[in-house]
Amino acid sequence: MTALLRLDNVSQTFNRGGLLSGQRIDAVKNVSFALAEDRSEIFALIGESGAGKTTLSRMVLGMQRPSSGTLEFEGRAIPTAPGAARRNFMAKVQPIFQNPFEAFNPLKKIDRFLFLTAQRFGGAARGAAADLAVDAALERVGLLLAEIRGRFPHELSGGQLQRVAIARALVSKPHLIVADEPVSMVDASLRMSIVNLFARLRDEMRISIIYITHDLATAYTISDRLLIMQNGAVVEAGDARAVLSAPKHPYSRALRDAVLTLDSIGLFAAKRTSNRVTEDRDVK
Amino acid sequence: MNTAVLQVEDLRAYFRTRYFGVKREVRAVDGVTFEVRADEIYGLAGESSSGKTTLVKAIAGLVKPPLQLVDGAARFSFLPGVRTLATASPDVVRAVRWSRLSYIMQGSMSVLNPLRRIRSTFDDFARDHIAGSAAEFERAVLSHLGKVRLDSSVLDAYPHELSGGMRQRVTIALATICNPQFVIADEPTTALDVIVQREVLGMIRQLQQEIGSSVLFVTHDLGVHAALTDRLGIMYGGRLVEEAPTAQLLREPRHPYTRHLIASLPRIGTQERRDGLPGGPPNLADPATGCRFHPRCPIAMDVCRTVAPDLRPSGDDHRVACHAEGAGP
Amino acid sequence: MWRIFKDLLKHNGEFRAGALLISIVVAMAALSFISPYAPDVSYVVAPDVPPNASNWLGTTSRGQDVFWQLTFAIRNTLLFGLLVALLSRLVALMVGLLAGYCGGWVDRVLMSVNDTFNVIPLFPLLILFYFVLRDRMSTPLLAVLMASLGWAYDARLIRSIAMSLKSREFTATGIFSGMTAREILLEQHLPYIMPIVFSTALNNMNWSIGLQVTLAVLGFMDIETPTIGSMIYWANQHTAIVAGIWWWIAFPVALVVMTFVGLFLLAVSMNEYIDPRSRLAGMEGASQ
Repeated sequence: MTALLRLDNVSQTFNRGGLLSGQRIDAVKNVSFALAEDRSEIFALIGESGAGKTTLSRMVLGMQRPSSGTLEFEGRAIPTAPGAARRNFMAKVQPIFQNPFEAFNPLKKIDRFLFLTAQRFGGAARGAAADLAVDAALERVGLLLAEIRGRFPHELSGGQLQRVAIARALVSKPHLIVADEPVSMVDASLRMSIVNLFARLRDEMRISIIYITHDLATAYTISDRLLIMQNGAVVEAGDARAVLSAPKHPYSRALRDAVLTLDSIGLFAAKRTSNRVTEDRDVK
Repeated sequence: MNTAVLQVEDLRAYFRTRYFGVKREVRAVDGVTFEVRADEIYGLAGESSSGKTTLVKAIAGLVKPPLQLVDGAARFSFLPGVRTLATASPDVVRAVRWSRLSYIMQGSMSVLNPLRRIRSTFDDFARDHIAGSAAEFERAVLSHLGKVRLDSSVLDAYPHELSGGMRQRVTIALATICNPQFVIADEPTTALDVIVQREVLGMIRQLQQEIGSSVLFVTHDLGVHAALTDRLGIMYGGRLVEEAPTAQLLREPRHPYTRHLIASLPRIGTQERRDGLPGGPPNLADPATGCRFHPRCPIAMDVCRTVAPDLRPSGDDHRVACHAEGAGP
Repeated sequence: MWRIFKDLLKHNGEFRAGALLISIVVAMAALSFISPYAPDVSYVVAPDVPPNASNWLGTTSRGQDVFWQLTFAIRNTLLFGLLVALLSRLVALMVGLLAGYCGGWVDRVLMSVNDTFNVIPLFPLLILFYFVLRDRMSTPLLAVLMASLGWAYDARLIRSIAMSLKSREFTATGIFSGMTAREILLEQHLPYIMPIVFSTALNNMNWSIGLQVTLAVLGFMDIETPTIGSMIYWANQHTAIVAGIWWWIAFPVALVVMTFVGLFLLAVSMNEYIDPRSRLAGMEGASQ
């Protein structure tokens, strides 16, 4: 049975430095996982900065070739060179980036990207058909074309911009969305509406989502399965709630214990002691 | 005996720009009054457009055009007679900087000179404030570094040779070595890994207890506030909308914004559906009339559209700025 | 673009000063079309006459009216500078954009070529060309020659901007929206690059005009077509300063200095617009 996405022992090594003195950095080490084709799911990739999540996402998007291992989308190797195969791939696999203000060109209107995606990947001709496709996608994320038309990025909030980015990704009716820290730069009060939107995309539009994050709390809320990475390697994987409720690997445990939520009230509370250590030192 | 180390009175700081004939006034801090008491960690929370970063800059005296201090005061107990650091003379500021008042900023690289070893940076910052010979100074530095669990090898290193977490610990050590009375910490752990963050927060509390200083801790992360701070102030649209001891505020929020904010934060262990707030952050260049939150408030009344509510007491050491909350304890 | 110039004109003193100077210079050049005297004839007026009512800037020892000669001179000099700037910008843009966006071996090859051109000593090379071509060294040919030598420095500048733009997320968004590389470069990246191109074009003009004047003064140029340099050359040949005919040298020098200063002021005042961040701050601004 073909998987939607299959990674097999994927590794990525970077060489830093010149010809004579170089450094090998293993950004990704032997990562393997697969997303099922017959059901849509949210698959979380969890790890801190430097864990290799972004490198992995770039390989899944075909923006970078792996040093070793294979990546297959719908049974075929992920195309990296420009051409018809790559265009077909890009229509089915779309990205969402961390910084909503950088996802669009600050000097240009944002609807341009929306209409272009509709024309190039959405099969819509110009004019009315493109308008329709864009409006439908915006509606899914809770926005209207009238609100977005002719706007520049700085005229919208981070939450709104991220929704527009999601709408753009939806225009081509993708099978897989790769979201790299999609809510970490969005205000906490607006975060859940976007996270809930992802859940709706999975349930209503049957789109699978690779949700890359370091925020365990949101991952717990919507992901079905997850993968925890440390220094490029997978340390634990499995059902989201099972892993986060009872993590087995020491790193996963440390990660879970380190998360501070509203339940952490008083963790570092002041201890009212009578003897306080003071340094015997002259302060000018 | 809780005397205030910092007293902020009706502080207003606006960004005023005049770019190619277009005048703009962004009311980043619009009338904030609060105090930070001795020996406590006071948390300041808020999202984008809340004004918390500008407030901290104004208190710290880092006011450069186009930012202007328009009104109000931010008095420190160790600088009687000085209205704000921004208007004080450079000598006065120099005398207190680092010895009575220090900062821990978000980017450690804004404090650590990438071209100098850590030892030299300690020398630059703290040598003037600590009496004794060079050897005694080095002993003092080493013992202080031990408190943030760094050893002597750090002194000879350059900043880029240390990890982000180690750098931030160096920054904290720098800020606390002269036993300051007041420490301003602006998102000091935001860029750090979750595991390192937990360590660093513990160190901040430990040092605060040992020295007995007051800390103004600014971050958008309510989880960090829950864990660390003694009292918490919530900012929205350039104003303080609620303030109370942290546990009390998080368990019984009284302002609609705080209530919704807390309700919308996900937690591990429950998949209960949470919703985000409707609408978007306020536009400080063209603020709403009356209460800044009323466009998004589920219980907005007519008065909210025209009259801005004052921050009034409502319960034990609890202040709320909302017309729906009755005045008085 | 026009709105930018209007804004700068209204609010930037340096831009206003530069615009004024350049307007005077351009006006002089335009007057050449209504000159009563053809540029290449001599002894049409009484020679060595100081400035007066009928010869506003005096006359030369060759019997030419300085004023009208100057109009032709500045026109040719300006056109020369424009031509060099235009051609070299085109080459710098192509090389810089391609090298920055494509990266890899394309970048390495183009930058090797670039650095080679960068280190070529210009002056000896141009003199060498003159000695080889002699009378066939016309002004347009010199313009092409200088354009092909004057693009290297700015190509690297453009390349570094292109490289940083490539790594920005909106480039990836463009790719996944179906944009071709050409569309991305011309539509998304060019607005960031144009201000640099414009400012370097002005500097380039100063450079090429200066070099051309130097060559002409030394006689390494076609000295029959009037340019600022050739006027000074002929003045020297007739030992104008010694003979007291100061107006023959002073006015061409004054006009070319006016051109340099004007172009410089324009370039410097454009700098405020070169940083896209300050431009965005001017458009509106995020609230804080």
